[in-house]
Amino acid sequence: MFSLRNCGLWVAASLTKKRLTLARFSGDSAAPLATKFDVIVIGGGHAGTEAAAAAARCGSRTLLLTHRVDTIGQMSCNPSFGGIGKGHLMREVDALDGLCSRICDQSGVHYKVLNRRKGPAVWGLRAQIDRKLYKQNMQKEILNTPLLTVQEGAVEDLILTEPEPEYTGKCRVSGVVLADGSTVHAESVVLTTGTFLRGVIVIGLEMHPAGRLGDQPSIGLAHTLEKLGFVVGRLKTGTPPRIAKESINFSILNKQTPDNPSIPFSFISETVWIKPEDQLPCYLTHTNPKVDEIVLENLHLNSHIKETTRGPRYCPSIESKVLRFPNRLHQVWLEPEGMDSDLIYPQGLSVTLPAELQEKMITCIKGLEKAKMIQPGYGVQYDYLDPRQITPSLETHLVQRLFFAGQINGTTGYEEAAAQGVIAGINASLRVKRKPPFVVSRTEGYIGVLIDDLTTLGTNEPYRMFTSRAEFRLSLRPDNADSRLTFRGYKEVGCVSQQRYERASWMKSSLEEGISVLKSIEFSSSKWKKLIPEASISIGKSLPLSHL
Amino acid sequence: MWRGLWTLVARAARGPRSPRPCTRQGSGVPVPGSGTTIFALSSGHGRCGIAVIRTSGPASGHALRSLTAPRDLPPARSACLRLLSHPRSGEPLDRALVLWFPGPQSFTGEDCAEFHVHGGPAVVSGVLQALGSVPGLRPAEAGEFTRRAFAHGKLSLTEVEGLADLIHAETEAQRRQALRQLDGELGHLCHGWAGTLTKALAHVEAYIDFGEDDNLEEGVLEQANSEVRELQLALGAHLRDARRGQRLRSGAHVVVAGPPNAGKSSLVNLLSRKPVSIVSPEPGTTRDVLETPVDLAGFPALLSDTAGLREGAGPVEQEGVRRARERLEQADLILAVLDASDLASPSSRNFLDTVVAPAGAGSPNGNSQRLLLVLNKSDLLPPGGPDPSPNLRPHLLLSCLTGEGLDGLLEALRKELAEVCGDPSTGPPLLTRARHQHHLQGCLDALGHYTQTKDLALAAEALRLARGHLARITGGGGTEEILDIIFRDFCVGK
Repeated sequence: MFSLRNCGLWVAASLTKKRLTLARFSGDSAAPLATKFDVIVIGGGHAGTEAAAAAARCGSRTLLLTHRVDTIGQMSCNPSFGGIGKGHLMREVDALDGLCSRICDQSGVHYKVLNRRKGPAVWGLRAQIDRKLYKQNMQKEILNTPLLTVQEGAVEDLILTEPEPEYTGKCRVSGVVLADGSTVHAESVVLTTGTFLRGVIVIGLEMHPAGRLGDQPSIGLAHTLEKLGFVVGRLKTGTPPRIAKESINFSILNKQTPDNPSIPFSFISETVWIKPEDQLPCYLTHTNPKVDEIVLENLHLNSHIKETTRGPRYCPSIESKVLRFPNRLHQVWLEPEGMDSDLIYPQGLSVTLPAELQEKMITCIKGLEKAKMIQPGYGVQYDYLDPRQITPSLETHLVQRLFFAGQINGTTGYEEAAAQGVIAGINASLRVKRKPPFVVSRTEGYIGVLIDDLTTLGTNEPYRMFTSRAEFRLSLRPDNADSRLTFRGYKEVGCVSQQRYERASWMKSSLEEGISVLKSIEFSSSKWKKLIPEASISIGKSLPLSHL
Repeated sequence: MWRGLWTLVARAARGPRSPRPCTRQGSGVPVPGSGTTIFALSSGHGRCGIAVIRTSGPASGHALRSLTAPRDLPPARSACLRLLSHPRSGEPLDRALVLWFPGPQSFTGEDCAEFHVHGGPAVVSGVLQALGSVPGLRPAEAGEFTRRAFAHGKLSLTEVEGLADLIHAETEAQRRQALRQLDGELGHLCHGWAGTLTKALAHVEAYIDFGEDDNLEEGVLEQANSEVRELQLALGAHLRDARRGQRLRSGAHVVVAGPPNAGKSSLVNLLSRKPVSIVSPEPGTTRDVLETPVDLAGFPALLSDTAGLREGAGPVEQEGVRRARERLEQADLILAVLDASDLASPSSRNFLDTVVAPAGAGSPNGNSQRLLLVLNKSDLLPPGGPDPSPNLRPHLLLSCLTGEGLDGLLEALRKELAEVCGDPSTGPPLLTRARHQHHLQGCLDALGHYTQTKDLALAAEALRLARGHLARITGGGGTEEILDIIFRDFCVGK
């Protein structure tokens, strides 16, 4: 997804630009840009940043190539991270020492764990995130990562050479060609170009080919991939309009307050950066029959909806909600975009009507009667590469040492992208060192479920994580992601810091100690029954769930 | 409907060859073969004096003692005569030779026991049910003994090569058998239950994944709960009643099929030596499937006469054709009958293309059905046989009228049936019924846990387990099925 720039973001962009002259070379001493790296990561989104940082953590000299450094860490769609299933992914990314959980603990404005009334296996860590802070903190992190160099530039082509005979694949990637014709060589290349492959933005009947405003689409790269024989599919998604905060009448709406205390995303954060009482609330409103009417009367002005391209079933536009579930009130969450942002993100109102009709529709909604639309919602259509063309280490079958991660593989969501980014970065680095790949199985984590589903079944809609996809849901809890992945990351790969390893070890031994203390207490079943009358104690016959 | 089963088999088959990287299985992954004890009828099905029932797993010794109480275990690896009786009721079952193979010196490497019982269906069924009532024992899945033998290093790598094929073949036989069993009331019931359960599970899953900040309708969980309670009642009632109602359909299924008026009914009457079907020169005389148990060349078989396959007849005959095709699916052996003097007619050619050719070539997933091509009415042929047709597969000439060629046909039938019945895993439908009962009981137990559990994630796990048990009977049960229902029934997402 793309972000049409807005005033708020402009400020952030110009601020970071200043630091950039330093930053460009800051990752790796003060030497001029080298022309040979271990790993090149193309794209600075959620997959790209995780991939680049992970490769660098593994000890590979890494180059992050992005169109514009000031868009690194941009949250281009919703101003939130986590949720049910997605929060699980974030904990696993964190367990491998990934970035997004730590950055969220420094940038959130409303932390709330979903599903608290259900079992701990399905708790969903979630937070509203300040876009500007997230970007700033992510850029600070990326630009200060040892061994990681960041450079602006559009990649036009891949440099391909003879394949290594001991691996499958018809050629091997050995570097990239930039738009200015210069070349950079590398042992592995990770492609995280998101929706950049033939991206098209749609509002009403207008279509703008490709890219963020002012940015070139990656035409050369798309051609190269096609020529190599990669199977390409097309997907669509959308984003809602943005509304001026001061034009909304919050006083008549349901208010949702954050958790107190806040639960941090990262295992190594003791607490989040902001106190619960300083956090921002969210508000809930609903659509009504008037909204249905506007949508239904104007379907002829809506090319995005008519297209046959598959959109997500679970993140539908207001148009498809109205069409598929008529005569219902649909929820609209009004979410803050940041501490000092004057924008509100109406979650649930993704729409591709012509801009003036969007504004008309918004003002039918309770609390939004006088709302001022700052930026219209829009749809995005883009190419993705059939993920059955990559291995569980995210390396392509066709081209050796070329890795794909993120939306390019047909997923949606920051967390899904980050999860693939970490795995691609780790494996790109391992490949350089000729070590066996690091694969997470379905039994070990949601990351495994995600990658296994993608690489074996493919997808024909933007793939999003749900807990119902995980067969071993009871064992894959957010709270034990460290015990599942941190030790592997530390011992097999070296992508985990000493500090995190020690913390996870301490937690593990404390848990084991606690369990052995509990196990040492033995009573007869009648005594237990007396002590805990509500517990159901089965005698003799083993429970089908006992192994869990 | 069988996709679930296939993936299961594919996984089972893939397992030993390319072990998935699961070096860290600390997270509660059930390791295949650990803990449970399996049992199955190991000898061939067919006319036999002795049937061998085998168990493998840690509870084998316990099972052996339970059935031979009050005697203790016999000495290892030597045959002893014992009276077998039901461990619960004490009812005597049979006087049998029993063998005790303590692991690791056994076929699978685990503790194994063998019961050599008399071959009658009542005895075999009684012993299987008795074993099923011993705690910790369950009926074996296709190929499971072999898998365990491999897991314990009892089979060499070259032997393992055949493992996938073996499991495949065994499952194919089980599939056909299960289809047969499911054809009818029980099938409708199971599919109905599976549908209800899948929907209830999907709604619980939706409540977990979307209940918090999407607006699901009120009462989603309550509705799922009441559906589960109804299902519990229905399953409980069925299990109490499980011994009645199902007709025993033992023997190889031989289906006689062909275009109209090829002489199928005449052949059935000839083979069964009694006038089972009405024969007339009019095409479309047989409209329903007529079954008759016969002794074919020494093997028990269920011979089915079917309506002639043709398009465009009246509704009654069309239904007959539909049933005929359904029966063909389930056949162990197809007797394809054609009029030797009428091979060039559209109906004959259509039949050759749609039934005979696919059976010979094997379907895309590699299961070819056994088929004998019989050219009837050889008495009408001019001397020199039928027109030479380059595409015609090997066939037998027969005249139902004169009886010429019958000996040849019986000899061919004997060979085919020996193959069909000699497959040790085919087993009698009794075993399939034991499996059904086992999984229905498992489903019911899991539903009980669902209603008792407060933690919704744990409760949903019980529901998943229940669905898994039903999926072993009906197939299906994948994640996509659940997600499809969620997105059909609810407007979720923001």
